[in-house]
Amino acid sequence: MSGTNTGSLGDLQRAFQDYLFRSSDAFQAAVRDTKKADRVTLLDVYRDGYALRLIEVLTNDYPGLMAMAGPADFDHVARAYIAAHPSRHPSVRWFGRDLADFMARTAPYDKAPAAVEMVRFEWTLGETFDAADVAPIAADVLLALPPDAWETLTFTALPSLHRRTFAFEVAQAWQRRDEVEPGNLEVDRADEPVTWAIWRPERVSSFRSLDTDEAAMLEALVAGRSFPELCETVAAFTGDDQAPARAAWLLRTWVEGGMIAGFSSRAAAG
Amino acid sequence: MCAAAVDFGLGLRPEHYEEIAASPGRVSWFEALSENYMVPGGSPLHWLDRIRRDYPIALHGVSLSIGSIDPLDERYLDDLKALADRVEPMWISDHLCFTGLRGLNVHDLLPLPYTEEALDHVAERVKRVQDRLGRRLVLENVSSYVTYAASELSEWEFIAELGRRADCDILLDINNVYVSASNHEFDAQAFLRAMPRERVRQFHLAGHTHKGSHIIDTHDHPIVPDVWTLYAEAVRLFPGVPTMIERDADIPPYEELLAELDVARGIAASVAREVAA
Repeated sequence: MSGTNTGSLGDLQRAFQDYLFRSSDAFQAAVRDTKKADRVTLLDVYRDGYALRLIEVLTNDYPGLMAMAGPADFDHVARAYIAAHPSRHPSVRWFGRDLADFMARTAPYDKAPAAVEMVRFEWTLGETFDAADVAPIAADVLLALPPDAWETLTFTALPSLHRRTFAFEVAQAWQRRDEVEPGNLEVDRADEPVTWAIWRPERVSSFRSLDTDEAAMLEALVAGRSFPELCETVAAFTGDDQAPARAAWLLRTWVEGGMIAGFSSRAAAG
Repeated sequence: MCAAAVDFGLGLRPEHYEEIAASPGRVSWFEALSENYMVPGGSPLHWLDRIRRDYPIALHGVSLSIGSIDPLDERYLDDLKALADRVEPMWISDHLCFTGLRGLNVHDLLPLPYTEEALDHVAERVKRVQDRLGRRLVLENVSSYVTYAASELSEWEFIAELGRRADCDILLDINNVYVSASNHEFDAQAFLRAMPRERVRQFHLAGHTHKGSHIIDTHDHPIVPDVWTLYAEAVRLFPGVPTMIERDADIPPYEELLAELDVARGIAASVAREVAA
C-alpha cells in the first residue's frame, strides 16, 4: 500500500486480494492486532481459507484424480492450478473447468497423461450433470415416419451428450475410485484409443464406450449429416451391404438410450 | 402465503433433497444458495422446482460482491433475476462484503472497512441492484477476522446507516455477530440493539470453530450455547422474524437439523411466554 490514496476503499480491497494471492504482504499494515491474536494469524484465516476452499471444490469435482494421485500430489496440483487460474466465475461450480488443460501443458503433470484424461472425463461428467433439460425422443416417433422422410432425416443430440476419446481406461477406473486407498487407483492404457459417449438421458448421467463405426456415425450425426450420409459413414467400416441395417440399429440404440433430442426432415416437414 | 407460515426454516442442501420431498411440512421454509441453481438444468433445478412446490423459498447468494470496487456483474444479475423469476422467492439476500475484484472471485466473504467512503459506495450499489431486481435486497452481517485501521464507524453503525440510506433490509446472522464480537472484542448485545427493528428480515444460526485466539465461522458444528443465548436476545428484540439454520460442511442427517431447529422453536416460544407474562 503506497501513494496518496492509502486507506481508500479501492486501495484496501486491492491490498487484501493481493494478500490472498500472496503477491504482497502490504495489507498487514492496514489491519490491527487484537489482544488475543496478531494480525498475521488473523489474516492467515483468509489466506489459508482461500486455498483450502478451492482445494475442497476440486476434491469434490475430481474424486477419480484424488484416487489416482493421493492427497499429497492432489494438493500439489490443486495449489498450482489455483495459483495459475484464479476463479473468474461467481460460482465455484466452474472453477475447475481448466484443470485438464492446465495439467496437459504444465510440468510435471504433463507427464501423467492418464491423470489428465481422468480429469477430462470427470469434468465432462460434471457438464452432463447440470446440462440443459431436453427430453429425449422415443423410438416410435421415428418408426412412424414415411420412408421418403428418411432421405433427408437429420438429428439433434441431447445438450448433455459429449464424446471423448481416451487412450487410458479412465472410465473403468473411475468406477473403482471408492474401492482403493487414495493414491492407489491404477489406470491401464487401452489397447487402442476408445471414444466414449457421456450424456444424461434424464437426471442420472450415463457413459459407455462406442465401437469405432459407432463413434464415426455419432460424430456425423452431431455434425448434422442426413441418415443416408450416416449410412455412408458406417459403410466405410461395414461395406455397403451391411451399412443400412447397422446404421438403423445404432440409431435405435441411441434413441432407446436417450441420446437423441429431436429430428427433422424436409419430407416430414413438408 | 401467510406470515405465520414462515417461521423456522433450514438451508436447502442436496444431501436432504429426497427426505424433504418425502416428508413435507416439517419446516416452514427453505433458503436456497442462489449460485448453486444458476445452472442450465439437471438435478439441482429439478429438486429446486420440486421443493418449491411444497415450500416458500428465500434465495441467498454469496457472489453479489456488493462492496467491491469492480463494476456490478451484469451477467450475474441477469442470472439472479432469471432464477428469482423461476423461484418467486420470499426475498433475496447476500452478504455485506466484497468477494473479489479485477474480475476475479476469491469465493470468500471479505469484510469492508466501515468508512463513509465505503458506505456511500455500497449504498449506491444496493440501490442499483434493488432497481434491477425490482425488490428490496436483504444484506447479511459477515463473520470477520480482521479490523481495518481505517474504519471510522462500528459495524452496527455501518449496517444501520446502510439500511437507512439504501432502504435495504438486514439478514441478522446471530452466529456472525457472536464470532465478530469475540474476534474484535465488542459487545454482541450492543450490536443487536443497534439494528433497526423494521429492517431485520431474517435470522441465521450456525456453528463455528474456536481456535483459541479467534473464532472461525465454519458452519460445520452444532450451534453453541452462547449463540443460543444471543439468539434469545435477538428474538426478544425482533419478535416474529423468520429463523433458519445454516449447515455447509459435515452435514448431519436431516433429523438432526430438525432437532436443532426445535431448539430454536423452544427458545422463541419461551421468549414469547416471558414477554406475554
